[in-house]
Amino acid sequence: MSSSIFTTSKEVFLDVVNHKDYVQLDRVSTIYQSLKDSIKKPLKMILLYGKPGTGKSMFLTKLYNDLSSSQIVHLYQTPILDESEFYKTLAQDIFSIKYSGELNFTQFMKIVNKSDIESIPVVLLDEAQLYSDVLMEKIRLLSDTRTIKFVITLHKTEKEDLIAKEHFQTRIWETIELENSSPAELKIYVQKKLMKANCFDTANMFNKKSIHTIYKFTHGNYRDTNKLLYTLFDLYASYEENRQLNSIGTANVPTKLIEMAAIHTGLINA
Amino acid sequence: MLDIRDLEKRWLHYKIKSYIPHAVIALSVIIILSITLFVWDSSDTPKQLAAQEKTPSIEKELDIESIISQNSSLKTQTHTTQATIKSPKSPKPIIIKETTTVASQKMLMKPSLNFMKKMQNETSPYYNESNHNQMITPKKRVIKPKPVIEETQELVVEEIDTQKENPTIEKVHKINIERRNAKNDIAEIITRFKKNNNPALSLFVAKKYYELGEYKKSYNYALLTNKINNEIESSWIIFAKSLVKLGEKDMAIKTLKAYIRSSHSNNAQLLLDEIKSGKFR
Repeated sequence: MSSSIFTTSKEVFLDVVNHKDYVQLDRVSTIYQSLKDSIKKPLKMILLYGKPGTGKSMFLTKLYNDLSSSQIVHLYQTPILDESEFYKTLAQDIFSIKYSGELNFTQFMKIVNKSDIESIPVVLLDEAQLYSDVLMEKIRLLSDTRTIKFVITLHKTEKEDLIAKEHFQTRIWETIELENSSPAELKIYVQKKLMKANCFDTANMFNKKSIHTIYKFTHGNYRDTNKLLYTLFDLYASYEENRQLNSIGTANVPTKLIEMAAIHTGLINA
Repeated sequence: MLDIRDLEKRWLHYKIKSYIPHAVIALSVIIILSITLFVWDSSDTPKQLAAQEKTPSIEKELDIESIISQNSSLKTQTHTTQATIKSPKSPKPIIIKETTTVASQKMLMKPSLNFMKKMQNETSPYYNESNHNQMITPKKRVIKPKPVIEETQELVVEEIDTQKENPTIEKVHKINIERRNAKNDIAEIITRFKKNNNPALSLFVAKKYYELGEYKKSYNYALLTNKINNEIESSWIIFAKSLVKLGEKDMAIKTLKAYIRSSHSNNAQLLLDEIKSGKFR
């Protein structure tokens, strides 16, 4: 086993949203396909929701990359909280109209109505729970005009449920929920991620027991799993650097090391 | 680079912490088990004592039950005995038999002392009444189980003894002495004999007839007895005597010789000698 493999493996689990890091799992692929199909449908709005770390942002990024070649798609990963700024950004990105002064909803609606774009542009809004209720109401009105299609992601909390129920109940035609992975899916996720980076040796180190231990701490949450495995391989790298690798072994991932990683990441309160 | 030593320390703390609940549970289970075992052991002795104490009371209860059940049987017995008194011609062996069965029942039931005393008191007048002549002597034997009832063990012994001594024959003997002229009794016994084929009864009849001088009949019943049981000495003797009385002296000698050969009976030999010498005619 080369000395750099643990460092390489560690970097695989860096918590960054990159469509290239998207791991195809059966259930996730099905959901993604249904999301893609929903875009083609004459729906006004699509709501993508789930707990933090279930891959919503990754889904949007992947969708953006997949659709950008064939249609007008705009992804806003960070919410534009100022209303005027929001309209101005949309006017510029979708209709290529630069607006120097304040832009209110009425003025933006005029721009939308005057537009001669053939295909309906798709606007992907990540972290939509951060938008104000007023702005969300304006987004709803915009979607009603059928000139812009919105795909929004929400954290599944009581507040978001309220948004979904009160504002979009009649307008969102497609709601897709993302969930944590199962232990079996987690194993595939970890191994596929490592194998994508050609870390076959480290991928083989994960057996049923070690995956079960990881699942015990992360509950299948992708973000937590990434954090834990990043620390795990960081620990391996540290042991390797201290020439203590023999004491922990490299055939399988020992529970002790997973627990140590969980302690370090805060998944275990020790 | 991570501080492995610090992490390992924290991990060790975590491990110890995580094992504490398990250890506590295991310890508490052990404690509970040991307490339970201790309590069990300590409660065992009183239980045994209680059981020991209880046993007699249960027996007593059983006794009461048996007494109740026996009460009826004893009463019936009393009735039968009373009936025999009223009609003194009625056959006594029947009564003997009944009493023996009652005695055996009582052996199983273990009657209590009090009850037996009670019964004694109840039955005593009857005995007093019936003890006037010799005929009652067998009846005394019949009623004897009452004192025997008091101690089951004694009863058992008596039962065994009577069996060993072939009690039926003995009893029949006694009855014979007292009932010489009771033809009706013979008829009754014949009826009973026909029912149960008891050789004691047929022998009784044979002896009775012999005493009455009806040698042909006594010969027949002795023959019947021998057919049922060919080891009864007195039956063979009556048979031979009947033959002699019927004028078949040679036949009697031949029969006795054959019997002596197989049984080496002294009585038979004596009779044979008497027949041969002409003492017995």
